[in-house]
Amino acid sequence: MSSPSNTVVTLPEKVRRGEVFEIRALVRHEMETGFRHTEQGVRVSRDIIREFTCTYNGEEVFRAMLHPGISANPLFIFYCRAVKSGDLEFRWMGDNNYQTILKHSIVVL
Amino acid sequence: MAPWPAVWARPDDAAQAISKIVGSRPVQYGRIHIELAPLVENGNSVTAKFSAQSPMTAADYVRAMFVISEGNPLAEVVSFHFSPLSGRAQVTTRIRLAESQRIWVIAEMSDGSLWRAHADTVVTLSACTEMI
Amino acid sequence: MKRNVGAAFVTGLYLAAGAMGAPLDKRQSAYHLMSSENQRMQDDLSINPAMFWLLDGQALWMGQGDARSKACFSCHGDVKTSMQGVSAGFPKVVHGRILTLEGQINHCRVEHQNLPAFEYETRPLLSLTSLIATQSRGMQIKMSESREAMPFIERGRFLYHQRIGQLNLSCAQCHDDRAGQRLGGVSIPQGHPTGYPIYRIEWQTLGSLQRRLRNCMTGVRAERYDFGSEELQMLEVYLMHRANGMRVESPGVRP
Repeated sequence: MSSPSNTVVTLPEKVRRGEVFEIRALVRHEMETGFRHTEQGVRVSRDIIREFTCTYNGEEVFRAMLHPGISANPLFIFYCRAVKSGDLEFRWMGDNNYQTILKHSIVVL
Repeated sequence: MAPWPAVWARPDDAAQAISKIVGSRPVQYGRIHIELAPLVENGNSVTAKFSAQSPMTAADYVRAMFVISEGNPLAEVVSFHFSPLSGRAQVTTRIRLAESQRIWVIAEMSDGSLWRAHADTVVTLSACTEMI
Repeated sequence: MKRNVGAAFVTGLYLAAGAMGAPLDKRQSAYHLMSSENQRMQDDLSINPAMFWLLDGQALWMGQGDARSKACFSCHGDVKTSMQGVSAGFPKVVHGRILTLEGQINHCRVEHQNLPAFEYETRPLLSLTSLIATQSRGMQIKMSESREAMPFIERGRFLYHQRIGQLNLSCAQCHDDRAGQRLGGVSIPQGHPTGYPIYRIEWQTLGSLQRRLRNCMTGVRAERYDFGSEELQMLEVYLMHRANGMRVESPGVRP
């Protein structure tokens, strides 16, 4: 499990070289669609995460481009091939200069 | 001009979104697997798994998958971008579905070929909501 | 002779009180009405959004953000050991009044930590209730049936059977009489509060049982009881008794 408490990323600590392993990345975000209105009829502006990337020792493994059609607290379960030990970096970017970065080391045996 | 755009997308919007992705290139049907419950209890969060069979080598991998909705206010839902390092062209996420509808997935392969598949789902509303 | 009849009468009442709502063996959590995907969302904390509240709760428990006063940890130590099974017995009846988990937390804050009480549905209160409730996950609900508690259970039972709102419906009419039938495409659950606080997909956030009960009241077009009101507290007590013996699922996911 990871911190700070606006992201939860789950992945194995150790993997064998060549193995394809699963990564689960969950981020806390309301993903305000921009289609809702207050009781007074005022539109609530769109405020969503736009992009999620996972890089592995600097190389992009996975990227998602999000639109309002992604649920609140976005989850992505995706895969990565174990090449060598190093760092995985997860980055979420969105409206209103939103950015959250999480780094996780991985040991490849 | 309406103060805000029409709320519901039409299949034309989905078709438009798809043609923006594929242009005039040919698109074959198949290769993509969509796992989406046929009946959904609440459209706010619908677990969906998208995958395409591929060796995911430098010579042959899935470059991208685009998820398009026929019934949401916006046709584009999400796009996924892979590399050979992904190991597997498979993603699970949770999407919003405004109503019962058809979801399309367009996949672009490293050789430039395009594939499409669809899934239909019925969306029900949850019980007893609240005032904001 | 008179004494025997009296004893039989009391035993009969006790049995009737124990089998409130659906008979014991027919009770079912709304978990079983959910899709397998949503069930997995609840079961697997790594993909359950309630994790964020648990993490916040853990930070609050350790005293982050309140440097002036002592943390929950100071008195209670590790939450996993000290709070195991605790929420499965809430709400309690203490000194003639109902004490919900929220009330207990606020009591600690005000009396022992010299901190202000939390309002219902605020993020810190939900974080702490979900943290504590999770320590009972998998354990059976164990509500007291003391003489002190019974009048409150009975009052909650009365409210549960009372017709309310423009639709003039009682909880019992849907959740006892018609549980398992469909209302607008959705299966009517029996309404056992086994998973609270829940991440409700409809809210797209975590919320309390009282918030959910207020939704029900909106559903029948009734004026809602206030958060923390005696009525909602009594309904909580009754509903937890009605679910006595069922397994805690907190933090639950519901549609």
